[in-house]
Amino acid sequence: MSDEKEKPPILKSWRNVYLLVIGALLAQIVLYYLFTRFFE
Amino acid sequence: MSAIDWLVLGLTLLAIVAYGIWKSRGTKNIEGYLLADKQLPWYHVGLSVMATQASAITFLSAPGQAYSDGLRFVQFYFGLPFAMVLLCVTFIPIFKKLNVYTAYEYLEKRFDLKTRTLTAFLFLLQRGLSTGITIYAPSIVLSTILRIDILYTTLFMGGIVILYTVYGGTKAVSYTQLLQMLIIFSGLICAAVVVVHLLPSNVGFTDALHIAGKMGKLNAIDTEFDLDNRYNLWSGLIGGFFLQLSYFGTDQSQVGRYLTGSSVTQSRLGLVMNGLVKIPMQFFILLIGTLVFSFYQFHEPPLFFNEVEVRKIESSAYKAKYDSLEIAYAQVHAQKQPHVNALVGAVRQENEAAIDAEREALRGLEKRSAAIRTEATGLMKKNNAKADTNDTNYIFLRFVTEYLPVGLVGLLIAIIFLASMGSTASGLNSLASTTVVDVYKRLVKKDASEGNYLSASRWTTVAWGLFCVIVALYAGRLGNLIEAVNILGSLFYGTILGIFIVAFFLKRVGGTAVFYAALLAEVFVVIAWLTELTAFLWLNVIGCLLVMGFALVFEMFKSKKESPL
Repeated sequence: MSDEKEKPPILKSWRNVYLLVIGALLAQIVLYYLFTRFFE
Repeated sequence: MSAIDWLVLGLTLLAIVAYGIWKSRGTKNIEGYLLADKQLPWYHVGLSVMATQASAITFLSAPGQAYSDGLRFVQFYFGLPFAMVLLCVTFIPIFKKLNVYTAYEYLEKRFDLKTRTLTAFLFLLQRGLSTGITIYAPSIVLSTILRIDILYTTLFMGGIVILYTVYGGTKAVSYTQLLQMLIIFSGLICAAVVVVHLLPSNVGFTDALHIAGKMGKLNAIDTEFDLDNRYNLWSGLIGGFFLQLSYFGTDQSQVGRYLTGSSVTQSRLGLVMNGLVKIPMQFFILLIGTLVFSFYQFHEPPLFFNEVEVRKIESSAYKAKYDSLEIAYAQVHAQKQPHVNALVGAVRQENEAAIDAEREALRGLEKRSAAIRTEATGLMKKNNAKADTNDTNYIFLRFVTEYLPVGLVGLLIAIIFLASMGSTASGLNSLASTTVVDVYKRLVKKDASEGNYLSASRWTTVAWGLFCVIVALYAGRLGNLIEAVNILGSLFYGTILGIFIVAFFLKRVGGTAVFYAALLAEVFVVIAWLTELTAFLWLNVIGCLLVMGFALVFEMFKSKKESPL
């Protein structure tokens, strides 16, 4: 359904861009968890 | 506020409104007025999407919420990046390909007119009420600062937004939002630096974090699965995903933002930007609230942050009792001081036993403070049953006006206004778009001229602006505003999202089945909310799944009925 003809200006494919978004989220959850535990 | 603060506030507001009006001059047709001629680049789309979601409520309520409840509210946004990805893959290419003005136009192409009209109606109801709340939030600011009736401040705030939204349409909204977000980011960074600077000279940034953390305020992640807990990892990821998908995918105030992108790529990149920046931004705003909490461990906080309610109780028969509570509250604060200082020392020495002891002592004293506050709000209720006993929205505001340096107070107040103007303008613009495109152009005047539609867009913006101002005048009874908006959204978003999910993914379901499924699901959602069946975020999931389930059953029943024996 997605229009893959239009390439993103970075990371070569939209799939890689989406992986970056999800990866950033997972990294933040881990960081916030460690942040919570460290200052608890 | 000082004269300099007023000058900063006035010049900032004037500059932003003038810039928006100037950039949007020459709008001659409905595409220019409602979709900015679809010519905006990705960073414009991204900032506009963020400015639409980040209302004044975000900057008034969120730090106050972190002060009272800690960082856990950040989990509410964890579903957002997943929603952005799904929107980029499915919604954006379809909306762009069909060249629609509103999300609801697509529903008629996929289903039928009644489903389009029902969904547009649910949106108008929900967005009209929510936009009213976003006007009310900054009106509290002016009301508190000027000490005048909130009626006049609400009329003033609503009036400014109606003025430039009516004149410039989407272009004015987007261009003002671009500047608004830049000023908002700068102002918040300044506020965070100043909060740390205001701490005692022997207390640094990490000490402040340790104090907040030991008092349970840095609870960013809660991994325990609990349906009744409003904010935990799972409600954020699952419930938040459904809410954000519904908000960004089906709420015209957001769809109208990314449809202004000059191509599919520019619209997608705008949402990707939102997926990457939104959570850190929200975390940062909440962190400012926890730093304010640490600040008030060294400076005596007021017993109640809403000065208006304090003045009422102090001029009542309960004055003596309230004064005695203030004294007791101050005594507890004084008792905290040696423990707070000892805690900082114990953390520096990494003395775990001492840290535990001081933490317990402080938490005990915090409970006593909370009990005194409860007694105080009880008095307020006794004095006046309609008293607003939730002061979350006033915590950050009171801190800003009492402790921030001259000039920065004006800038921070301006930020609250700008944020409200940004989201209110998007709300009004989307209400006008939906009314004109999905109702007026479709059901009332099908073949009118561009000039007629442009004129209708402007008049409906005025009408919705007036409606939202009226709603704003009654919004004060809703408690924490950021939660009120989200609860209101959760009542309708699940059903609306369900309709779109069926449209995209359940190809064999037709219009009649999804129409009745949506009606029935909405009834269930309202009952679930009234009976407090679960925390509000889950209402989005329930609404969406019910629409999908009912639609499948109805379609199956219809097929069986129609198939020859």
